Amino acid sequence: MSGTTIKQDLPPPGGYKPINYLRVPAKTYFSGVQMFVLFNVVTFGGLYIWSYTHEKLKRLKTEDRASRLALQPMLYAEKDRLYMKRLRKLREEEEELMKDVPGWVVGTYWGEPIYQTRPENEWHEIQVTEYMAHSPHYKQQYINNFFKWL
Amino acid sequence: MITKGKELPTYEELEVQDVNLSSPFLKAGSFHLGKQCEAENNEFMLCRLEEKDPRKCLNEGKVVTSCTMKFFQAVKRSCAEEFYNFAMCLDKSSQDMSFDTCRKTQTIFDTCMKEKVGIERPHFGYFCEPRVHATARPQPMPELPPVFPDALVEPPPDDIPRQPSRHQGRPIFF
Repeated sequence: MSGTTIKQDLPPPGGYKPINYLRVPAKTYFSGVQMFVLFNVVTFGGLYIWSYTHEKLKRLKTEDRASRLALQPMLYAEKDRLYMKRLRKLREEEEELMKDVPGWVVGTYWGEPIYQTRPENEWHEIQVTEYMAHSPHYKQQYINNFFKWL
Repeated sequence: MITKGKELPTYEELEVQDVNLSSPFLKAGSFHLGKQCEAENNEFMLCRLEEKDPRKCLNEGKVVTSCTMKFFQAVKRSCAEEFYNFAMCLDKSSQDMSFDTCRKTQTIFDTCMKEKVGIERPHFGYFCEPRVHATARPQPMPELPPVFPDALVEPPPDDIPRQPSRHQGRPIFF
């Protein structure tokens, strides 16, 4: 043991560096009032510029709506004719289908009409299932789910 | 379902030549069409809203369709190429057939329509405005209240003899 040299762990020459305990604040670019003013200028300036785009979009939407409204009478006229054709066809189909069934009255359930207190010639709309009564199942599904395409 | 007593027009009455055009063509011609057939369209829509019965507005609808056919025939005769270009632009320039991307072809079509057919394009919101339409068709009267022949004319007097209830009557709270 006498031949070994012992090295004492000591501070570096000149001593340790002083401990950095002082607070270093971030650099400030704007004061509070300046930031407040800048926020308002950006917000309301942006809104002012956006209002021009908004006006343009409103005009475009109105134009599209006007175009559709101008076409609506023609499309409704066609649709009404197709609808009445279909009703007549459905009635004839039911008459043909149920001609051998005694006691069956066309358009009613064994003689019981849908609307009992209304005059018979009064117009009423029919249900989608009635409209598609003599169609294959996939067409009924198509009509039922058509609104999902719109 | 529809009973036999409900009157429906026959197939011959319903058979009219329809406008065989796709939506970009219809949209391209919509403003001039609406201006040209304004009286017919207003008549038909008023009938449809008042009567709530498509059978009564069949003739008005036929007038609307024939007016539309006449208009598109006139367009085909005079401004076919401009019309086709405008419709193709509407179809292929944007997803929602926006007029905004087709102002050039639209201007060419408008000038052609003004010079050759004599219809001026109305301003962009013309068909969104409400308007009053004078018609010769009489207004449908509101339905009369129902008449019950077996109803009592006046309520019975209060001192008519009353029978005690046969099955103990109702409990008090119901």
